[in-house]
Amino acid sequence: MSKALEDVVVLDLTREFFASLAGALLGDFGATVIRVEDLADPRKVDHDRDGMHPPERWNSLDELAHRNKQSLAIDLGDAAGREILDKLIAGADVFLTDVPFAAAEEKGWDYESLRRRKADIVYARGSGLGPRGPDRDLPAYDELAAARTGVMPTLVQPGQPPVYTGVGQMQTAVMLALGIVMALYHRDESGEGQIVDASLLGGNMYSQSLDMQAYLAMREDRFLEPISRLDSSNPMSGPMYPSADGRWVTLAMPDTDKYWPAFAEITGLEVDDPRFDSHEKRCGEHRLEMMQVLEESFSRRPGSYWKQKLDEKQLPADLIEKYDYPASDRIAAVNRYVLNLDHPSHGAIQSLGFPIYMSESPARLRSMAPCLGQHSAEILQEQLGYTDAEIEALSTQGAIRS
Amino acid sequence: MAKALEGIRVLDFTQWLQGPVCAQHLADFGAEVIHVERPGTGDGARGVRSIKALPVGDWNQYFLVINRNKKSLAIDLKKKEGQALLCELVEKADVFLSNYPMGVLKALNLDYAKLSEVNPGLVYATNTGYGHAVEVNRPSYDINVQALTGIMTRQGEPGQPPIYLGMGSGDTYGGIMSALGIMMALYQRRRTGRGQHIDASLYGAQLFMAAPTLQPFLASGAEGYSTQQPRAKAGNPLWNRYRARDKWVFLCQENTDDGWRKLCQSFGRSDLADDARFVSAEKRAANHAELIAAFDGILAERTAQEWMDRWAPLGIVASPIQTLADISEDPQAWENDYLMRTHCAEVNREVEIRGLPITLSKTPGSVESLGPELGQDTELILADTLGISWERIGELKERGVIP
Repeated sequence: MSKALEDVVVLDLTREFFASLAGALLGDFGATVIRVEDLADPRKVDHDRDGMHPPERWNSLDELAHRNKQSLAIDLGDAAGREILDKLIAGADVFLTDVPFAAAEEKGWDYESLRRRKADIVYARGSGLGPRGPDRDLPAYDELAAARTGVMPTLVQPGQPPVYTGVGQMQTAVMLALGIVMALYHRDESGEGQIVDASLLGGNMYSQSLDMQAYLAMREDRFLEPISRLDSSNPMSGPMYPSADGRWVTLAMPDTDKYWPAFAEITGLEVDDPRFDSHEKRCGEHRLEMMQVLEESFSRRPGSYWKQKLDEKQLPADLIEKYDYPASDRIAAVNRYVLNLDHPSHGAIQSLGFPIYMSESPARLRSMAPCLGQHSAEILQEQLGYTDAEIEALSTQGAIRS
Repeated sequence: MAKALEGIRVLDFTQWLQGPVCAQHLADFGAEVIHVERPGTGDGARGVRSIKALPVGDWNQYFLVINRNKKSLAIDLKKKEGQALLCELVEKADVFLSNYPMGVLKALNLDYAKLSEVNPGLVYATNTGYGHAVEVNRPSYDINVQALTGIMTRQGEPGQPPIYLGMGSGDTYGGIMSALGIMMALYQRRRTGRGQHIDASLYGAQLFMAAPTLQPFLASGAEGYSTQQPRAKAGNPLWNRYRARDKWVFLCQENTDDGWRKLCQSFGRSDLADDARFVSAEKRAANHAELIAAFDGILAERTAQEWMDRWAPLGIVASPIQTLADISEDPQAWENDYLMRTHCAEVNREVEIRGLPITLSKTPGSVESLGPELGQDTELILADTLGISWERIGELKERGVIP
């Protein structure tokens, strides 16, 4: 099996989860991703800075963000260390970083400096709020970007605190990877590199794009406040109803006419109930009343009952599951969305797998996230042609760790 | 200016959201994207009449924005002649993209085996509901797939209903995943000359989207990652949502002694800084509920802007929690082209639209036009791309293959 990005070399100088993940996505499809870890500035991202990710027996978010990468640990405070990085840049295709804009200039990691060492480099930056604008230098925290996006107050029920979901950063990771591959594609044709930017703000905004676009076009206050789940525009598409055992049911039948007879039958409504006997009535004048009736109906039986009935009638509706569902779902496993692995140190574990399937060059888990400096010697030898004695000397003087 | 994807031709046989969004990303950067639609009604999204119980307004922003920069080809694929015409186009295309079910594609003679025979260099991209590996015969709307992932029950306060992450939140993610898959396949094709089948499903994308909590759940099985967590018991009280006098703020301060002292300084509360319950990171974490209650009282005394003005000089990181009205005026969104203005032919005025989330310095994306009218490019595509004579185009119209 071939690898889609086999000839691509990425230097990964990232710290934040989303930016590191962009590198991992490229590594999953065969790019050589060298994670450059600076011994002079060893601060690592703390996934528990919000206090909601207590340390586990293995750091699963690091594992996801750095799988299929090699680790090079060098002292960038040392001239010998910087020389190694310079040589690597000269042979790299992509320089991926989330260092703040000002710090990048200070370190000589800005685009102008890098292109002097590699003229056609693709220079990819992940930032918090974008490369332009008054707040471009604020830290790249997903929470800050999510707070600006405008939907945190509206996703909840009325009266509830705004909610942070964490999914905006996931959009950004893919945007960064996509921007990189588009730039590489253009480089093939033109011979020129360029700067690729993706930010947490852009990712968060895209994640909520339909709500945002509707507000931009309509400017209605209804989009600014939470809408009660029993005030949906369509009683059969979007709302959630609790069942007798507290499990929730959600319906996705926008075209209510198509499903109405079967749906009425299982929920105990009369098909020809004059209040609900047309799509216009169900979604118009009797919309709120119908939701109250359905609320009552769903609360009479447990979740398992509804699941069975909905499945029998092949209605687009589901129980709202918990994470134990994908963990044991055969479909998630056979598509390799969830991997069951034998970890060298931790035994049988589960991890998220690969959301993109490619028939000729599928994603592969070639290696788990590396230890600090695990590949230092190998990279110096194979990529830069250093001898064993030179590597030994660099190691002794502390310029590298291997 | 040069376009990154100039010269790539995409047959965008998609409808509704995920597929169209995928092709939109490619069109934004210069690919020639042909939205293939059925005559008469076209893409179902053309029929959107209301959003959140409100009439959609005088222009259908749902359809027009995600289909911007595209052409429209109306063709009856139920007719053999329509299928044959599309096959001719496949020969001249780089990418075939669809979010129709595999069964439908097969019935229309548009399955991978057929099309890759016609054009071995073709990148054949599908957006299935539940993945390529097994056929799953169930509908895949954004919300019912999101319901299966488990992410909805993780959100919000305990005792509250699950939370849907917003209209189309999963579809847009599946869309960009698909665009990444297509670009990687095109990149590789430059080296091998061969196309392949790629699939980015709604389920797969939404599972990956849940990574910040699903990945630690898979790793540890810890119940806390899969259930609602109360704001009043956040693990780090310095990194939490608080209600200021007028609106909510998101405070994002790492739990360090330095950060703690600065916060107390901004509160004018040196007594709190010396409070034995909160003097170390460990104690602040252990006594989080008391500390959050104290913060709730203090933060409510001033407006969000007053707090921001106090915090900025101290280097305390925070943001007011904005509304959609706030972001639509935010210079950060406009200066980065995350929001843009463009002309809308349907209403003949300038409208505001979602912009370009990826910034390429030398080959930037652009919005040249909003979504096309149904079938507006049909004849030109047949004439220019396939070299079909005007006489034959007339015959095709007569037979109802094209409108």
